[in-house]
Amino acid sequence: MYRLNRPVLYSVAPLFLGLIISFAGLYLFYIEIDPNENLDELAIGSENTLTLASIDKKKIHCEGGLREVNDCINDYLIYGDSDELILWLGNSQLHSINQFQLGDETASLILHKKLQSKDKYLLTFSQPNANLQEHFLLFEYLSNRVPITELILPVVFDDLRETGIRDNLQDILKHKVVIRELKNTEVGNKILLRQNTNKSLEGHNDPLDGTEQEGVEEYLNNALESMFDIWGDRSALRGKILLNLYKFRNWSLGITPSSIRKKIPVRYNMNMQALSAIIDSAQRKEIKVLVYIVPIRNDVKIPYNLNDYNDFKSKVISLDDSGLVKIANMEGIVPANYWGSKKPTSINSKVQELDFMHFNADGHKALSNEIFKALKAENDF
Amino acid sequence: MIFNSLTYLLFLLCIVSLYWLFSYRLRLYLIFFSSLVFYGFWRIEFIPIMLLSVIVDYLVSIYIPKSAKKMKKKLLLVSLCTNLGLLFYFKYLIFFSNSAVGILNFFGASIDPLFLNIILPIGISFYTFQTISYTVDVYRGLIKPEEDFILYGCYVTFFPQLVAGPVLRAREVIPQFKNRIPFSILDIFEGLKRIIYGLFLKVVLADNIAPLVDDGFLMSIENMSALDVWTLSFLFGFQIYFDFSAYSHIAIGSARLLGIRFPENFNFPYIASSPRDFWRRWHISLSSWIRDYIYLPMANINVQNISTGGISNAVGHTKKTKSLVLTWIIMGLWHGANWTFVLWGIYHVILIILYRLFSRLFTSFSDSFRSVIGIIIMLPLMMLAWIPFRSQSSQDAIQMWVKIFNFNEYGSLGMRENTYLITFILVVAFFVVYVIKSKIMPKLANEKSIFKFIVLQTLFFSFMMPLIFIFLKPGNQFIYFQF
Repeated sequence: MYRLNRPVLYSVAPLFLGLIISFAGLYLFYIEIDPNENLDELAIGSENTLTLASIDKKKIHCEGGLREVNDCINDYLIYGDSDELILWLGNSQLHSINQFQLGDETASLILHKKLQSKDKYLLTFSQPNANLQEHFLLFEYLSNRVPITELILPVVFDDLRETGIRDNLQDILKHKVVIRELKNTEVGNKILLRQNTNKSLEGHNDPLDGTEQEGVEEYLNNALESMFDIWGDRSALRGKILLNLYKFRNWSLGITPSSIRKKIPVRYNMNMQALSAIIDSAQRKEIKVLVYIVPIRNDVKIPYNLNDYNDFKSKVISLDDSGLVKIANMEGIVPANYWGSKKPTSINSKVQELDFMHFNADGHKALSNEIFKALKAENDF
Repeated sequence: MIFNSLTYLLFLLCIVSLYWLFSYRLRLYLIFFSSLVFYGFWRIEFIPIMLLSVIVDYLVSIYIPKSAKKMKKKLLLVSLCTNLGLLFYFKYLIFFSNSAVGILNFFGASIDPLFLNIILPIGISFYTFQTISYTVDVYRGLIKPEEDFILYGCYVTFFPQLVAGPVLRAREVIPQFKNRIPFSILDIFEGLKRIIYGLFLKVVLADNIAPLVDDGFLMSIENMSALDVWTLSFLFGFQIYFDFSAYSHIAIGSARLLGIRFPENFNFPYIASSPRDFWRRWHISLSSWIRDYIYLPMANINVQNISTGGISNAVGHTKKTKSLVLTWIIMGLWHGANWTFVLWGIYHVILIILYRLFSRLFTSFSDSFRSVIGIIIMLPLMMLAWIPFRSQSSQDAIQMWVKIFNFNEYGSLGMRENTYLITFILVVAFFVVYVIKSKIMPKLANEKSIFKFIVLQTLFFSFMMPLIFIFLKPGNQFIYFQF
């Protein structure tokens, strides 16, 4: 029999105690997770409701990755009753309704119905914080899959601070047609370079790809998932940790949604290049484009560096507004009372925070009306 | 098999359980064959290459002591040609052929580069160095050849250190394999602690820093500001440190579970106050290897034959600059077949030479003052050294370095604010952990304050273990696997 002497006890005790505390802490942390809580809704704020429109089980607004995009496309190919397909790309503003109430409709659904009466079919794809590089990729993919006649493209100052292609869109880069199109542009080449560099960096792609370990790891992972719910829910735990860190950061540095954001020059330039690339590509394909500066609440000071924001606006407005391209500034179309608030994004704060991105159903109505007007003016219907 | 995976944890559990149940002889077979399985989990077809290196050095070393002087040299040459030949073919053939083609084309020739698809066998730089050191030690008469093939095989292929070190010397490991090690619960718990610490560094820190570093290095350099260059160098410096030291911790911990002790490979390198000090703290086993098998022989200085001490004892010889430069170029190329690594080596040589020149200015100051000044100067300089390590090309690295000398480049920030914040937190956290681990913990580790010691350690483990549980996934390979 092994006798525990003092040095052994000193070594064993922290590990045992640590293990007990870890299990207890993990359990408490885990039970706090609401299985019905949608991580997407968490991302847009709990006062906002993710609302994806469909008509008679036919999906007309999809959010997510390539799989969801293909769902919408397939529904259009099967049930689409018009040859005139209008594509609307955007961020969470399109799929979130602040202070949602039963029966509320998103701008995409309202506009779809309006356009349907004009024998046009509207498909909408949105992603939280979608950047213009992602829109460029998605546009190239979709314009080669379905006959698009018009593109509606919102430009959001906030999203120009984002960069890169999210994982669930990466598969688009496997399509030869898309690669060919991307290679025709400077920004497309940068996107491809970034993709190839990521691939070539050993250690940053899937390290088990093509190894004998791949299958074993998957088997063990699945086995653990089937035995312990918590193992399968680790991604939710990761999300919760990151959310708490985010709140902690906001609390410790006093960051709120109203804090002033500056443009990040590198990302900004790349996204503006992507915007030009989308317009050029659309023009080559004879697809009309409606570019609009998104609505922002105008009852309070906007959370952007004013010089940066004004510079951004003038750049967008000065885009070549001729031929197939129409530029619109929709900043002020949603009245102050249509904008919502969201739960605090900081630890220990009970004060509701202003939401600068999402508005209620009336705001969606206003947006769809403005876009419909712009389309009507362009198309004369 | 990679350490940060369920497969490895299960594998380790099985091997450790069987190991302590087996008799001495069976343990050796278990280690040898399980190491082959461990390696085969990456790519089974590369096992014969590793075994070729193992068998050649085994046979050569058996015959060296029995042979005449000339024959000894020939046998040593056989070993060196085999190991370096394998290394050259798999790691450097494409690099050298393309470089040669590039030079010839520069002078007007019109030659197409070679298009070869050679996969670098994982860990080849580590196990070839280990087998070379073994044969050279036998040749030098420092150790006797091991006649038991399985025991010798265990030394080279021992799975914890097989693919990314530490680079062990036969003298340190073979004697441990020679006896039946008695079971020690202390070894088990100390081993587990090291594994937990290593997994935390890898899956929680290194793998979460990686996307920020990737993003940063993908920026076009003309858009990067000097502050971005500094931030990226620090961020990558921490990523590679966490990543590689994590591997070493898990390797040391895994070996300890089997009662085998490995020398330390890292010791808070960014606390170094001189280049010499840095190489006493960073990848200690490699720098010691380079010292004993490349630098000292080249400089005609007696070798030391221990995998500790780093390159430090050698760098004092100012007359040996030529050897120093060559050594650092080799050191660079060992890390990768690319001019960026040569640039990295040259940077370090320059740093060492500058240190030798300027450190004399501080001799009149107190040790503690020199130490503090040394850390303040060395930390950013060492971080900047990582730029070529991570850059796509030497030109990129040089362009990035040039930025930091241009004061006009300090006006903007090109990355998300979080990147700078995280970098700052990492620097502060590094020094806080250093103070806790190196200054506070040793003071508490006595009978009087043992309660505080246990509480502090418990806090560390309660913090690390749930995070490992949540973040554990083989998402990223260890960076040093590619070397």
